[in-house]
Parts: sequence; structure tokens; C-alpha cells
Amino acid sequence: MTAAAAAVGRLPLESRRVKAIAASLAAVLLALIVGGLLMMIAGGEPISAYGALIDGAIGSPAALGQTLKLVVPFTIIGLGLALAFRGRVYNIGAEGQMFMGALAGGALAILLPVGFGPLLIALAIAAGVLGGAAWGSIVGVLRARWGVNEVITSLLLNFVAILGFTYVVRRPLREPGAPDLQGRAIQESAALPTIPDLYIHIGIFAAIALVPIAAWVIGRTSFGFRVSMLGYNAEAAQTAGVRSRRMIIQLMLISGGLAGLAGAFQILGVAGRLDPGISQGYGFTAIVVALLGRLSAIGVLLAAVFVAILQSGGQAMSVIEGLPYAIVLAIPGVFVVFLLIADRLARG
Amino acid sequence: MDWSEVIGPGALVVLISSGVAFAMPMALAAVGETVAERSGVLNLGLEGMLLSGAFVAFVVAYYVGSVALGTAAGIAIGVVLGALMAFLSVTLKTEQIINGIAIVLLATGLTAFLFEKIFGGEQRPTITGLSDVEIPLLASIPGIGEILFDQNVLFYVSFALAIGVAILLARTRFGLAVRAVGESPAAADAMAVSVGRIRWMALLICGGMAGLGGAVLVLGQLNLFETNVSGGRGWIAIALVIFGRWNPLLVLGGAFLFGFTNALQIRVQAVSGGISSSFPYEVFAALPYLVTLAVMVAATVLARRDAMPAALGVPFRKEAGA
Repeated sequence: MTAAAAAVGRLPLESRRVKAIAASLAAVLLALIVGGLLMMIAGGEPISAYGALIDGAIGSPAALGQTLKLVVPFTIIGLGLALAFRGRVYNIGAEGQMFMGALAGGALAILLPVGFGPLLIALAIAAGVLGGAAWGSIVGVLRARWGVNEVITSLLLNFVAILGFTYVVRRPLREPGAPDLQGRAIQESAALPTIPDLYIHIGIFAAIALVPIAAWVIGRTSFGFRVSMLGYNAEAAQTAGVRSRRMIIQLMLISGGLAGLAGAFQILGVAGRLDPGISQGYGFTAIVVALLGRLSAIGVLLAAVFVAILQSGGQAMSVIEGLPYAIVLAIPGVFVVFLLIADRLARG
Repeated sequence: MDWSEVIGPGALVVLISSGVAFAMPMALAAVGETVAERSGVLNLGLEGMLLSGAFVAFVVAYYVGSVALGTAAGIAIGVVLGALMAFLSVTLKTEQIINGIAIVLLATGLTAFLFEKIFGGEQRPTITGLSDVEIPLLASIPGIGEILFDQNVLFYVSFALAIGVAILLARTRFGLAVRAVGESPAAADAMAVSVGRIRWMALLICGGMAGLGGAVLVLGQLNLFETNVSGGRGWIAIALVIFGRWNPLLVLGGAFLFGFTNALQIRVQAVSGGISSSFPYEVFAALPYLVTLAVMVAATVLARRDAMPAALGVPFRKEAGA
């Protein structure tokens, strides 16, 4: 145990942290410059375009509410992925796990004859977590039991989950008389309360509360320490008594469960019905968020806010400046590559 | 439903023929991935390389009007992304899995941006497809002739290239070096083989093949482009490598088997009434992914990893003082 602990802390902690932050900031700057270049390629003017973007993201209470609506899933899913990635369990199936959570939570919120709102909401949220965790556990068991590559299985299961969701919306839980692909509305009592003026559901408090909890789990608990050991050197961790198979399944349950939670929030707090449009690839965006946040809890929150501002302000930017919205989708991808390089260079 | 419409005489040849054509993009990417993985690098950026190849090939073919130039451009962008993967994974030695995911994210974002920029609001721009070229004599062989020798030019070129890369890996000095650095990089290094250079070249080949796969997808098969046109084919290709146990010919065969299965499900879906059928079409649509999953699990369980390159995913660092 001590040998592994010593290996983890090879470099002085403080200088590592300073370099890591510097590398992140440099990558942010470079990515924004590339984003500016893309805007110029598209015939726009970067300064005013970024201005329109910021204004569209946080310029009014309603805009801020829109941005926070994205912060919720990005943060919740990103935290789970950060933890899993720390243990080198590369779950890229959060999109599917989110849809499974949305399906389970949403179905309950539609069908369960419970009149008491808080109870119904609690049950629907629990179902969402379970749905996501169950979907994630398939990947975990396959990897833990037979060593099947989790990156590919989790990715393939995304397609299956979304098709499953589509089927339910198209057939058993379709809104009667509605045009294409609209699922039934949830019971009124199941809708999450919203904060007046901001139009953001109370899931935002859950997302913010999860940040210190995740930080505590990662940094202060023996579980978090074992995850880091597993990620740093699986063999040494095994020797030190970490039960890696169990950990892999646990990490998939946690990251899948959090994705499911985000899915349930999307139904109960945003869409109000079973709606295939609850995610614009948020499960994939959360991968970016986890990586940009350098797999730390605070980092995930900051990255989630950053990416949410980009995406929510991007709409306003594209309307006002006449630029393609997809610019804001390209910036995070560029960002991750820069971060990988900057990170490596900072470590020397 | 009437099964003779699916596997009756005549129908079966069409089915296999379209299955083989459908499989080609994945087959190319999978053979490329085999080279990368045999050299010891797990390239999870394949989907991004395929997508970028498809996009660039389409744009060039659309504006220049030349399928040949489009294909070349598709290969070129694949090679560029292969170089990026090599720079990150081999030169900088950062975590291969993350590098791959980053390349997919990068390609998805940039192609979405450029597609919107170049084609405006157009959802699915199209180009005129290639016509099939019958190869004299060979095409008249019953069954096989129609399947293999009555396809478009890109198909023949692709097929030849896939076989060529398989031979390159199995029968040449370069192929031996690739396999050596993937099995035992330290030993290869001791024999004065440059591990870094071989892995770089393997990734360039892999990128080129994936880019070609993308070009074949849009220029030889779909004749259109839409956002995320690759639709998971790159990921399926990675699974096919495991299924084919890192043997390029088995990988190729696996890809065609997969293509056939998919053509079968499309046909069954059509014959049984499609979206209006009481049977959920989603089950058919999910089949390719479920089959890939099942086959990959089976291959992993049965293969017991002995076929997997020993140094797969491990960056090579010379021992200190060596």
C-alpha cells in the first residue's frame, strides 16, 4: 500500500497542481483562438461573435436559466464519468444510460398512480438512477467478468438504448393524437418545481450538491483512493488488495446511475414528457466535460459551466451574427486535443 | 411474410452482393485498425477518421466532380488524423484511449461545423453515384460473379487494397516489424527496429484506410452526406478486429459476414412491412449493434486473449540507461 501511495505522489503536489492549472488555461486560450479563427472562416468577427455568445448565455435571467439547464446534466454526468475515468474505466455510454434513466423515471412519472407529488418525484428519480445504473452494469459485468473492452460495448449500447426509447415513445407510451414521436406527458404532480424568473428546475441544487460530495469521495475516502490506485497501476492495486473486478462494476453503476439521474431530471424538469429530444448528445459532451475538468470534481463543474455557456450562447450567436451554430460544437473537441498536449508538456 | 422474397433463388445473390458492398467501409477501417493494433496502438479514433474521410471526400467530389480526387482527399485527411493519433500516442505517449476519444470528438465537431458552413441549411446534399462495372467473363460466373465482379470501381480498388494490406502485414519485412513491436517492443528495439517509427507508420496506414472507408461510404454507397454519416461504423470496425482475432483476413471475412447480416435485416424489415408493421422496426435497427456486441463478447470469451497483441495499448518507453 505504501509503495503505491508513494508512487502516486511522486511529484510535489503543489507544483503539479500549478502546472496542471496553467496547462488548462493555456488550452482554454488556444481553443478560444481556434474558435475565433473558425468564426472568421465563417465570415464573422470573433470579438463581437463572442460578445453575442456571452450575452446570449448569461445576459438575462431567462438566458442564464437556459445555460443552467445545460449545466445540470453536464455536471451530473461529468462527475460520474470523471470518477470512472480515474479508475480507467472508460464509459462512453453515458448517452444511452441517460436515455435509460429517462425512460425508467419518465414511465413511472406517467403511469404510477401516486397523488403525493414529492413521493412520486422521489420514486421517479430513484427509477431513473436505477435505470441508468442497470444499463451501465451490463458494460461493467462484461468487462469485469470477461475483459470485454468497455469503450466499444458502452458505445454500441448507446444505439440500442436510444432505439429502445424511441420504440416506447412511438408505441406504448405515445401521446394519443400527437404528431410524430411524442411521448405522453408526465403527471402534473411529478413535474419538478422551478425557480421563478430563472425557469430552472431544482435539479440544479442536486447538481451543485454533488460536486463537494464527489470531491470528498475522490479525495477523502478509501473508495476514492482505491479508484485512483486502480487507474494508476491495476496490477499493483490488485496486489495491494483492491478487488478490481468489483471496482469496475461499481464504477459503471455509479457513472451509469448518475447519467440516469440526469436523464430523469431532463424528463421531470425540462421536457415534461417522454421526449427523444431531451438530449443533444449531452452524454458525449459530458465526456469532454470530464476530460476538461481533469477528472476532478471542481474541474468538472467549471468545465460544465464553460461548455454550457458555449452551447447555450451559441444559439444567440448564430442568430445575431449569422454564423453556423456548429462552431460551438467544434470548440470543445479542439479544446480536448490541446489539453492533452498541454497536459503532457506540463508534466515534462 | 414470404421468406422466398428474402432468401429464395435470385434474392440471395442480391442480398450477399449488397451485404458485401455495405460492409466495405467497415472492412477497410477494420483492416487498418488491425495494422495499428498489431503494432501495439489501440486506435479508438477510427470513427472520427472514417467520418472525416467521408466528409472531405464528399466535399471534394461535390465541387470538383471527380470521385478519384475525392477518394484521394478522403485518404489524405485520414492520414492526417492518423498522424495526430501517432503524435499524441507514440510521440507524447499520452493515454491512447483518451486520445482516440478526443479524435472522435474533434472530428464530430469540426465536420458538423464545416458541413453547416459549406452546405448551409441543406440536410442531405447528394452526388451522382458511380455506376457498376461488370468485369467481363468473371461477372458471368453464377452467384460469385454478381457478388464480386459487378460492383463499382471503388469497390474493386478497396477490395484490392484490403487484401494488399493483409499481405503487407503477413508477408513483408514491414509487417514483421509491425507484429514485433506489438508483441514485444523491447525485443524489437534490441534488434534495432525503431518502435516509434513503426507505430507511426502503422497509424498512418490505419488513418488512410479509415479515410478511404469514409470515402467509399459516401462516394460508392450512399451518394450523400449528412451530419454523423458514419453512424458508428468505426466503432463496429474496432469490434470486428477483436472478432477477427487480429488476423486481417478473418477481420475482412467478419466484416462481410456482418454486412450480410445487416442486408438480411434490412430486407426482412422491408418484406415484413417496415415501420407500419406491428413488429417494432427498432428491433431490426438495433440488430447490427446487438450482433456486434454478441460477437465481440463471444470472441473475447473464447479467444482467451492469446491472439491479442501483447503490448496493445502500452506506450513504449526505453528502459533507463538502455
